[in-house]
Amino acid sequence: MTDILRSWIGSALPDWLIVLIAYLLVTTIVLFYAVGNFIMMVWAERRVVARMQDRLGPNRVGPAGLLQPIADAVKMFTKEDIVPRNADRWVHLLAPIVALAPVAMMLAVIPWGRGWEPIDLNVALLYMVAVSAVSGVGLMMAGWGSNNKFALLGAMRAVAQLVSYEIPAVTALLTVVILAGGMSLLDLPYMQAGVPIMGATILCGDPAGCSPLLYSTITSFPGSPSEPVQALDLGLGWWVFTPVGLLGFLVFFIAALAEGERTPFDIPEADSEIVAGYMTEYSGMKFATFYIAQYILNFALSALAATAFLGGWQGPGVAALANMGGPWVHVAAALSAFYLLAKIWILFFVMIWLRGAFPRLRVDQLMDFAWKLLLPLALVNIMSASLVVGLTQWTSAQWGGLVNLDGFAPWQRQLIAVLVTAVINIAATYWILSINQRPKQVEWDEEELVVAP
Amino acid sequence: MNTLITILFLIFAALILTSAIMTVTVKNIVHAALWLISSFFGVGALYLLMEAEFLGVAQVLIYVGAVSILILFAIMLTRDLEGSQNRQLTPRWWIALIVPAALFGLLIVPTVMTHDWRLPPPPPAGQPPAISGAQQIGTAFMREYFLPFEVAAILLTVAMIGAIVVAFEERERRRRVLTLAERVRLRQRQQQRQQPAPRPEPAATAVQTSEATGGET
Amino acid sequence: MMTEIQTETTEVQTTRGKVYVIDRGQTRLRAGQGLLTGLEVVFRHFRDALTRKLEKPSQQTGVFTVQYPEERLKLPEAFRNFPILLYDDETGQELCTSCFQCQRICPPQVIHMTQARDPATGKPVPAVAEFLIEYDACMSCGLCAEVCPFDAIKMDHEFEYSTDVHGGLTLNKEALNRPISYYEKIAPTFWAEVKDSAMKKLQGNMKRRPDLIGVAPQMVEKIRAKRAEAAAQAPAPAPATTEAAPADKAARLAAARARAAEKAVEAAPEPATDSAPTDKAARLAAIRAANAAKKSEGAAEAAAPATDSAPADKAARLAAIRAANAAKKAAAQRDGSEE
Repeated sequence: MTDILRSWIGSALPDWLIVLIAYLLVTTIVLFYAVGNFIMMVWAERRVVARMQDRLGPNRVGPAGLLQPIADAVKMFTKEDIVPRNADRWVHLLAPIVALAPVAMMLAVIPWGRGWEPIDLNVALLYMVAVSAVSGVGLMMAGWGSNNKFALLGAMRAVAQLVSYEIPAVTALLTVVILAGGMSLLDLPYMQAGVPIMGATILCGDPAGCSPLLYSTITSFPGSPSEPVQALDLGLGWWVFTPVGLLGFLVFFIAALAEGERTPFDIPEADSEIVAGYMTEYSGMKFATFYIAQYILNFALSALAATAFLGGWQGPGVAALANMGGPWVHVAAALSAFYLLAKIWILFFVMIWLRGAFPRLRVDQLMDFAWKLLLPLALVNIMSASLVVGLTQWTSAQWGGLVNLDGFAPWQRQLIAVLVTAVINIAATYWILSINQRPKQVEWDEEELVVAP
Repeated sequence: MNTLITILFLIFAALILTSAIMTVTVKNIVHAALWLISSFFGVGALYLLMEAEFLGVAQVLIYVGAVSILILFAIMLTRDLEGSQNRQLTPRWWIALIVPAALFGLLIVPTVMTHDWRLPPPPPAGQPPAISGAQQIGTAFMREYFLPFEVAAILLTVAMIGAIVVAFEERERRRRVLTLAERVRLRQRQQQRQQPAPRPEPAATAVQTSEATGGET
Repeated sequence: MMTEIQTETTEVQTTRGKVYVIDRGQTRLRAGQGLLTGLEVVFRHFRDALTRKLEKPSQQTGVFTVQYPEERLKLPEAFRNFPILLYDDETGQELCTSCFQCQRICPPQVIHMTQARDPATGKPVPAVAEFLIEYDACMSCGLCAEVCPFDAIKMDHEFEYSTDVHGGLTLNKEALNRPISYYEKIAPTFWAEVKDSAMKKLQGNMKRRPDLIGVAPQMVEKIRAKRAEAAAQAPAPAPATTEAAPADKAARLAAARARAAEKAVEAAPEPATDSAPTDKAARLAAIRAANAAKKSEGAAEAAAPATDSAPADKAARLAAIRAANAAKKAAAQRDGSEE
């Protein structure tokens, strides 16, 4: 974007202004993209949940109720803004902003399409996690500034949940870091080219005879950066197709549900218990800001999950179009953006699906789930991810002579890694699930029972 | 580009200083914590401006995302939120002034004395040594600073185990609150016991735990 | 992993009606299987709701929403909202005789009416001059329709009365009037039950209504035109329609009564079920009773079933008293009308 602007108006303006304008333009585009998706998500959620409950959902405003979010927005704008008399006025005002701003900042590092990356940050994964944690401060401010017991309770719940589910989420993302050998989000889709399970391991035997429509230069194996190779590229080498990626994806997605306060983890705003949690005392546009923050957080987390595990913008045909060069590169970029959007929406559909199916967890169940199930699984998964890197990349010298895979072809090493990690992950999953089973009903001695006063 | 960076630096510096001053002067203790968060955030932004991305992000993650939330938790769970009786100054305020000033001097004086203050700095010869990237930090932790890193890790683990030990309730002491149905059954059984029971008790497992443990998936 | 759950629904006919038995599938599930089963159920609902509507109660999936303004459920015949007044389609005569029963029973007291009077004599006529119901306070109890001896007031199915004009919910006679055919459409079996007696009573009342009194306001022009046409075709009874002289009217009344009495005599064996204390009913009963008495003189017990279950002897005496009363009354009325 900067380069385009430079070529247009480079002579008229100082360079730093051009950079600023370019960043502002990109920011505006990304925010519009996110808010447009937010509008559609609200509509889709209401419609889909309605169908799951054998209803129709909003269908009056506009064709198929598509204009319903706009009607809601008009309602929100015209509503009275109420601040409780004993509320902390400034904290109450700033809270929705503090909640929304970090969520919007998360959008900056996501590669929305091939070549459509707002910012290249080499610690993007950590950045996503860190910034999403900041919104907890906003929730806390909302809960405390409202001077309402339900709001404070909701904020406490929200922050406790946010902090404890960050751990499995980050641990699950660590597998990606290990596989990619870095924390940049931009490289992840490039690394997830190739074919399912085997990744970029089916090499081109004869460089002259490989069609650019099927084979392309892939930067690295899943593992660590290595020499670019010509390999079969269907755009389907997503890490979710490997045992490590699948388990990591499941753990991360569940943790993301909790971070995004989606059912069954919507404890912070459990309407049946604490009115609306930290949003209790908000009305009008301030409430809408929280609402937007929540949906955009879900959007960003879905995008992160898609980028980290589902190949991001990677998909069949993108590499082929990009290899054709010329204007086709832009077509490839558009197609890749569509792929990412489709993945985000599928994940969002799953979120709605879970909302339609499951009731809310209790707080102790929530904590048990995070600490007794998700975290052990994520830890086992880290070990599996390390094994993948070792089995596919290391020489026998690095193994200390324990494992000698030097003579094997890349696809053979990849296959060995998949099989080994599959065995480990499946066994660990079964084991952790079984020790987490509800214990057989214990017989209590009557003497032990204490009747509540 | 430099102009932009200078402007941004000034903005962030002003933010940090204002927040820091507000942190120590504002009366409401929750407000003080919020100003502190703002200050932390400004520091993180400064790191980012210096292209120390990992440091900046870690600052945000640890200080803004975790430490300050812990502070807020601690403040909100204690009494007297408004802090109306809290004095801003104690009689020994000068100690509080001298100690930080001395520490700050200890930090800043060698920097001022040893730093090469030529502006703009001379262009680095060849590839500048990247010291702030995640990879470099990771390598440093795993090679040069392996021992301190592991010691810190063990210390944290020990602290966590200690916390669990302190907080853990022994199973024997744990009281279980009965549900209504269990209480009724218990009373029935007690009554049965008092009477001479002609036939064996029908259900030995009548009183059971029905507590739903959360681990089920 | 995901178990296929049989959700067969079977209909079982029991002695107390039809019962739907739903097989909920297996109950023992392994870890996590319950979650997957729940997801599967929800997805099935989602998929089916996209494609079909719920038609039978035995179906478990499909959209059940009735999109109200466009689609409507068929209202049951006994549905009741607000009362309406009925008038005869052909003659335009209202069934209401302003007997004030409904006004008296109405719990929120929203029914108001005035009785019609003969403009020439100033005497009350069995017809209603104005009839008001305040729909805004009506509680839709249906007591007015229950109590009406002439089946003139009935409960309507129309329920979309929401408005921002409060006063617009006080309806006058013209707004309340509906033709009988309308009521027959919305409640065919109910109307069929009362049709004969209602129409018979209306025939009787029509004879006591001079001119266009008792004709529904919206039908007045039509009826007038019809009568004018009839008058043009047959000029003989010309003055009777336009200006009804009291004597003339009395004569017609008497003739009609005589005819009715004759008819009643002919139809005597029919059981006297009507117990309402109306004038007409009393007279009818008297004539019937007299007839029965005559018969009982002649043919001993033969006419016993005519007077419900009472002993013939007592019935005969009662009938005689009634006949005497009726005669006296008739004589008094004739005197009054001749003067």
